[in-house]
Amino acid sequence: MLKMHNIRKSYRTDTIETHALRDFSLEVNEGEFVSVTGPSGSGKTTFLNIAGLLETPTGGQYLLDGEDVSSLNDNQRSRLRNEKIGFIFQGFNLIPDLNLFDNIDVPLRYRGFNAKERKKRIEKVLEQVGLSARARHLPAQLSGGQQQRVAIARALAGEPRFLLADEPTGNLDSLMARQVMELLEFINEWGTTIVMVTHDPDLARRAHRNIQVVDGQVSDLQRTAAPTAVEIA
Amino acid sequence: MIGYYLSLAIRSLRSTPILSSLMVAAIAVGVGAAMTTLTLNYMMSRNALAEKDAVLYAVQLDSWSATQGVDNPSEMPWQVTYQDAVSLLRSDIPTHQVAMHLWGGPISVEGSEIRPFVAGARVTSRDFFALFGVDFIYGGTWSEEADSSPLQQIVLSEETNEKLFGGENSVGRSLNFNGALFTVVGVTEHWQPSPKVHDLNNGSFNNSAEVFLPFGLHRQFEIYPWGNNNGWKAEEINSYEDRLNSDVVWLQYWVQLDSPEQVEDYRDFLTAHIRGQKAQGRFPRPLKFGLTNPSEWLQLNEVVDGDDRMLSWLSLAFLLVCLVNAVALLLAKFLRKAPEAGVRRALGASRNAVFSQHLVESGCVGLAGGLVGILLTLGGLGLIRQLQMGYMDRVAAMDWTMMIAAIGLAVLSSLLAGLYPAWRISRTNPSVYLKTQ
Amino acid sequence: MLELRPILSALWRHKISALLIALQLGLTLAIVSNALVVIDERTERISRPTGVAVEDINTFGYLAIPKDYDKFEAFRLDLDMIRALPGVASATISNHVPLSGSGSSSGFYTEPNMEVGATAANFYTVDEHFIEALGMNLVAGRGFSPEEIMQVGATSSERPTVAVVTQRLADEMFPQGNALGNAIFRGGDDHPIEIVGIVERNLGPWPNSPIAGRGVFYPAIMDQWFTYIVRAEPGQRDAVLKLVEEKLAERDPNRVINSDTLEEQKDQYYAGDNTMVKVLTAVVILLTFIVALGVVGLTVFWITQRQKQIGVRRALGATRTAISRYFLLENLIIATTGILLGFAAAQIFNGFLVSEFNQPALPLTVTLACALALLGVSLAAALLPALRAANISPATATRSV
Repeated sequence: MLKMHNIRKSYRTDTIETHALRDFSLEVNEGEFVSVTGPSGSGKTTFLNIAGLLETPTGGQYLLDGEDVSSLNDNQRSRLRNEKIGFIFQGFNLIPDLNLFDNIDVPLRYRGFNAKERKKRIEKVLEQVGLSARARHLPAQLSGGQQQRVAIARALAGEPRFLLADEPTGNLDSLMARQVMELLEFINEWGTTIVMVTHDPDLARRAHRNIQVVDGQVSDLQRTAAPTAVEIA
Repeated sequence: MIGYYLSLAIRSLRSTPILSSLMVAAIAVGVGAAMTTLTLNYMMSRNALAEKDAVLYAVQLDSWSATQGVDNPSEMPWQVTYQDAVSLLRSDIPTHQVAMHLWGGPISVEGSEIRPFVAGARVTSRDFFALFGVDFIYGGTWSEEADSSPLQQIVLSEETNEKLFGGENSVGRSLNFNGALFTVVGVTEHWQPSPKVHDLNNGSFNNSAEVFLPFGLHRQFEIYPWGNNNGWKAEEINSYEDRLNSDVVWLQYWVQLDSPEQVEDYRDFLTAHIRGQKAQGRFPRPLKFGLTNPSEWLQLNEVVDGDDRMLSWLSLAFLLVCLVNAVALLLAKFLRKAPEAGVRRALGASRNAVFSQHLVESGCVGLAGGLVGILLTLGGLGLIRQLQMGYMDRVAAMDWTMMIAAIGLAVLSSLLAGLYPAWRISRTNPSVYLKTQ
Repeated sequence: MLELRPILSALWRHKISALLIALQLGLTLAIVSNALVVIDERTERISRPTGVAVEDINTFGYLAIPKDYDKFEAFRLDLDMIRALPGVASATISNHVPLSGSGSSSGFYTEPNMEVGATAANFYTVDEHFIEALGMNLVAGRGFSPEEIMQVGATSSERPTVAVVTQRLADEMFPQGNALGNAIFRGGDDHPIEIVGIVERNLGPWPNSPIAGRGVFYPAIMDQWFTYIVRAEPGQRDAVLKLVEEKLAERDPNRVINSDTLEEQKDQYYAGDNTMVKVLTAVVILLTFIVALGVVGLTVFWITQRQKQIGVRRALGATRTAISRYFLLENLIIATTGILLGFAAAQIFNGFLVSEFNQPALPLTVTLACALALLGVSLAAALLPALRAANISPATATRSV
């Protein structure tokens, strides 16, 4: 699904060059649930941004679904992001001016679905996260856990094969965090590949595999669960 | 996608009503100022004779003094003398030709309820209507004879006929003009060129003639024109005949020349005329005459004067300030929404999509600004009409072209203003906004 | 404590926004200062002394309906009647009305039979009441006596032997100050016209023309071009206008009367200048307003953006004054940059106006005054947001989202 080989990313300011990732290599298989942990500044977020095609690496090779994405232009990358990747953020990042329905509508618009298709999909994912009754509410009218469920619904609406989650439970209390985590596991069971960045060792342990990033490199590879041949639904 | 961007733009603008109205106001004021002056200039420089621009010529002869030329851009008198006009009228080269001037007098109809009033008149040779393309509702121009002998025939404008005869066919009716009985021979259709390209001497934008009189009446009525009389020579004038034969210029002269050969022939004719006059001691200056098309005639006469042009420049500078203002405000607004743009990018919006979305929003600001700008322009023109005390009523008015131009200018301005902010937001690295700190 | 360095580096990060504000201020300075000199010139033009009693004068003309109408007889009867009316201070008849935009001019010489080098001047034909009726001020010599007034037809070649001139014409044609008693001549003519009186001032029919102020008055009445000029007692003008119009129509209904106040004619004549003044004033006010709004908008925006930063500063011990001062100082730096740009732009713009449209040159003092005023406007516009910024609670710093 995702294959990074010797990815490098450095940021230049006027005076110094910082290396966020160095020779970062990683492979994630179809249907895997991978957690990424590491201290602050280790390069977790940079990895996530590059994986999500939000940033381009300074060097190295990145294959997404077998396709080399390093040479794609912005339009192609945006399409790929829209079709194959779903994002979940710590801060939910719902658009405050739009109600739940319109928030979930955003990626579908860029996909170019017609109104009927969009409506169908939005209603479906809203039901999946149990918020059908709230479709016309604004994000501010929901609790944090509900907001994150909307964000997950938005990520899922386009039926991506690959879900990137950045501290998805970081802003939630433990009960809500557990609910969100269960939702992610459920999604994964249905076949979506998930890469989740987290601080929380308990959550990290619930993934199939945990990757430690230290100083911009994968420090250790260890399986936290037996490799599973996930049945694709 | 445009529909989606439009709904987003409207939502976004409504979410910051104060900032949005500031931007709309900035564009509207700039467009209002620019369109007010541009409309004035546009209306002032319209050419009512555009259709015949290639075949009509204003005739000028340099009959001025040996020691001193005329101080105007053409360096020739605008008008011609009576004696020259009469000589030129004898030429059979032009398809049509007109010698004319402004006059006026009290007009009344025997037994009518209408109180006598002063009617502005154009004393002219009979080709006037054919040459300037003035159509008749009733009747037609006077007989050829009336251009050389005093036949008391008169042509009324549509408005005058309405006033005196209630708009009915008045051909053959009599009326009293300047103390004499005249017979109506024709009624013209409404004809109100603005600017008055055919005679720019006494106000370019005031009313055209209410009645038209034949050229053969001068001696009988001892007509002194109401327009400009300019002389350069100390002349002994003891009789009206002396005056007609003087070097004072007071007539406008126009010819219609349909072919290049005609133009060539007419040039030769004018040259011969001036040579002949030189032989008699007139025309002391180097041989010079002017044949000028209506469009050039308007420019030569500086119908759009320096003040008007200066105001246009000023209002464009004003619009520029308003635009810079709009750029600053749009930039502020867009940057505030940068996190949202970041989310959209993450959800699959390309840079181009983000750029288009914001450009559409700028366009909406421009459209609103344009609509308000039209209102401001109408207000501005109303103000100008009031300040100009009636003189500009006909030019200080918007037509459809200018209204569309106003919206166009506003949308173009705001798209220009939105270009940089939209570009800037579309280039921002989305990941910066996705991580909550 | 001037915190210039952090301000400058913060500004640098917002350089485009800051530059846009500076640009606005600069352009505004360029436009406003140039508009002000034009406004000043036009206002001065309009308010120049005219030499005549503009507020009290009405003018009347008529066109006779019958063809052969004895105008000279009518003049006598009309004027006798007008002068006897209540509220009328004085009345005269003239070929033209000062300030009306319609008049006659001619070239004059100090020597006979000249044809080159004339002094162009407006001329009037008037009766003996003209100084009184126009409300002019005779500064030397005398006016006309009734016997001197000629009756002149349009083609009569009878020439006046005396004239009253304006001070300006007298000074220009006779710089030694010996105009009174001396003669002037028409071009190519040896007929002397003796200057018997000098009036202080008369701008003439075209106040904006180069010959404005040069006037020659002949003792004559013309039947081809004539207007009654009637000066009312102070405050009576409008009543007199109505009364005279009524009485003229009553005395002889066989004519079409027209009437107007001199003030109206003056306003008509200056309508263009007046429009210029009003439009430019509107431009100055609107522009200043727009720039002020721009400054407010941007300052508010920046403050919202840096709310947290302000909270942190407050938490670290910055006083309210320090916060306000920070933003005002920031504004001052932007405004000063803009105004420096504006100084150059104003001169360039003025160069264009001077060469292209003959407008007055822009004195540095005007630009300087405008610059200071704009600086004030900019600071005033930034003041409210800056004061509001000072009210941001230090607790903002500790809230995370």
